[in-house]
Amino acid sequence: MTVPSHRTASPHRPVPSREPVLDVRNLRVEYGGDGRSVVGADNVSFTIGAGEIFGLAGESGCGKSTVANAVMRLLKPPAQITAGSILFDGRDVLAMDPRELRAFRWREIAMVFQSAMNSLNPVLTIGEQIGDIFTTHERMRKRRARARSGELLELVGIDPARLKAYPHQLSGGMRQRVVIAMAVALKPTLLIMDEPTTALDVVVQQEIMAQIGDLQRELGFSVLFITHDISLMVELSHRMGVMYGGRLVELAAAKELFAQPLHPYTQALMNAFPPLTGPRVELTGLADTPRTEHGCGFHAHCPDDRSDCSTNIPDLREVAAGRFVARTGGGAR
Amino acid sequence: MMAPAAATRAPLLSVRGLTKDFRMGGLFSRDRHRALNAVDVDIPHGRIVALVGESGSGKSTLARCLARLEQPSSGQVLLDGEDVLRTQKRGASRAYRSTVQMVFQDPFGSLNPVHRVEHFLRRALLVHGRPAGEDELRELITTVGLTEDMLESYPHELSGGQRQRVAIARALAVDPRLVLADEPTSMLDVSVRIGILNLMRRLRDEHGISLLYITHDLASARYVADTTQVLFAGELVEGGDSLALMDRPAHPYTQLLLSAVPDPERTEGYDPVLRAGLRAAVLTPESCPYEDEGTCSRTEPVRHTVGEDDGQPHWVRCHLYAPATPTARRVLTAATPEVENV
Ligand SMILES: Nc1ncnc2c1ncn2[C@@H]1O[C@H](COP(=O)(O)OP(=O)(O)O)[C@@H](O)[C@H]1O
Ligand SMILES: Nc1ncnc2c1ncn2[C@@H]1O[C@H](COP(=O)(O)OP(=O)(O)O)[C@@H](O)[C@H]1O
Ligand code: SF4
Ligand code: SF4
Ligand SMILES: [Mg+2]
Ligand SMILES: [Mg+2]
Repeated sequence: MTVPSHRTASPHRPVPSREPVLDVRNLRVEYGGDGRSVVGADNVSFTIGAGEIFGLAGESGCGKSTVANAVMRLLKPPAQITAGSILFDGRDVLAMDPRELRAFRWREIAMVFQSAMNSLNPVLTIGEQIGDIFTTHERMRKRRARARSGELLELVGIDPARLKAYPHQLSGGMRQRVVIAMAVALKPTLLIMDEPTTALDVVVQQEIMAQIGDLQRELGFSVLFITHDISLMVELSHRMGVMYGGRLVELAAAKELFAQPLHPYTQALMNAFPPLTGPRVELTGLADTPRTEHGCGFHAHCPDDRSDCSTNIPDLREVAAGRFVARTGGGAR
Repeated sequence: MMAPAAATRAPLLSVRGLTKDFRMGGLFSRDRHRALNAVDVDIPHGRIVALVGESGSGKSTLARCLARLEQPSSGQVLLDGEDVLRTQKRGASRAYRSTVQMVFQDPFGSLNPVHRVEHFLRRALLVHGRPAGEDELRELITTVGLTEDMLESYPHELSGGQRQRVAIARALAVDPRLVLADEPTSMLDVSVRIGILNLMRRLRDEHGISLLYITHDLASARYVADTTQVLFAGELVEGGDSLALMDRPAHPYTQLLLSAVPDPERTEGYDPVLRAGLRAAVLTPESCPYEDEGTCSRTEPVRHTVGEDDGQPHWVRCHLYAPATPTARRVLTAATPEVENV
């Protein structure tokens, strides 16, 4: 009478190789213009291994999309990368010229944007839009492209007959799957997903994540997965980082970070999600106040007395093997 | 956590057999889409009732029917026992509109950018013939956890969470007894959602206001709501005390919804593909993995009580829980039921 258990022995989490596919170091991005400059990301460093799912969590405005766009080299003025390096398979992404970039984007790194499901062209059929990828990037013949498009739809669990459908004829979840199919069309090494399921409800989100897990197993790409939903991230990712005010404040294996968050902000962020089990206790969440522009805006709400970090968020320090946290003082809590 | 025992009183609002059909196609088309089917629900005094379900299940339609923004096709809405669809046929009375207030999902769309916060609150007070002096404004703005100086602010100067608080303050201006909150946090950043949920709890505990909290986020329903009702394809399939319902979900659909919530506590891996398959299966009686020998495709289930917590019956509409006697089953007729226009 109860739902049969679907828990199986961890199917989509093979231990990834430690060989980094992506290596981001000390990245700093500023949004300049008329004298004022906003730092979108500062001193951000992380790596993603082959076949690894790496998560980037944090509330909106913390710099997640800025990092993703920097990796894709999609930042446009007034945004500027003012420090740091990005290496992809050992190659310097920041040094690529436009021609190299064209070959690099979508083929090696593909991205599913926030609310991408609304970005499909409303006047073209799904088939035309997927087919385009093959005809322009692979110079494929129309017929062949159509066949490949059908296969791709099947891969994300949509009936190839829907190639003839227009975007508005599909549900939000289906459109999102189409966008994911398009992103993996050229078999990229790294797939960046910027809040791919934020607009979808939980059951559809579950399906999409299932699809991604499936695809990842099948195609073996690495994933940079961005969301503000820590629970979802912990469930899906191998390792994850938490961003706050443009800085990484914690970096660790996802399960470890969840089991014992070390940074006060990570703790506060986790405390913003009510649990599904256990007693009902009042949560405080995060403060609903605009952040101060300088220093760590979280300082006033930081549960610990940390006068040492009132002017800025400290750099990450390794406090245990593979565990990094932004703090100045000693390692002990 | 619970408000003092109010459950023994007659409910503030009772909904009985509420059905809403939308006409598909042109004005004279006979095609109907049934968005709500025979919904029965009670909203007690000073309680929060959560209405959960995935998008398209009819949650907003129910809220809009209760706010009288939508005319139900049949059924009753009883406010303090008064069948308002009959007594106020031509639309809600002013008294009804001030008793039942709605808060929408989008805190941007509902506030005109050219006015200061003060304007929205003052207008709401005046429209309902209430004094709108400094004291009243101050009380309203502080009730929702904002500071007095924000009365001077324009909407764009506020964060999403602050704007939603203003929208709630505006709803409170008319001293409502029931607030219908349609996904009030889903467009807000995670960092401010808890604040809105805590505000809802405070309105219940300190002001005795009843709330219908609409959401697809089960954990938040569990956090704020005394009872939870699960809506699936326009029909309520399960209801009961929120904690009990989520600890022991009875209906296959509720079990599925709960299993779809990401849970880092899961120590073993799980197979989301299998789970997604289950979802597809539960959607129709023909393929529901729990249906026995075709009963479900032939007869419509009725409510069965599976438990009681805090005086709240935990009920489920599913044949699996039917008592051994077949009397409780109603045979489905081939013809669609007559739609009564009220
Ligand atoms: N085009 C832009 N111009 C100016 N500031 C920007 C721009 N895009 C983002 N920012 C700023 O950079 C910071 C990080 O933004 P973003 O990377 O979009 O955060 P997230 O994706 O985590 O919500 C924010 O303070 C935001 O206001
Ligand atoms: N004005 C309308 N005309 C026709 N169909 C509608 C209208 N409003 C809602 N519906 C349909 O009713 C169903 C329930 O919608 P809704 O109440 O908005 O669901 P939810 O709020 O749970 O997402 C959907 O199938 C929707 O398409
Ligand atoms: S105040 Fe200091 S310890 Fe607290 S979050 Fe900010 S930088 Fe970290
Ligand atoms: S009544 Fe039958 S078809 Fe419906 S949920 Fe229960 S077992 Fe499944
Ligand atoms: Mg973003
Ligand atoms: Mg809705």
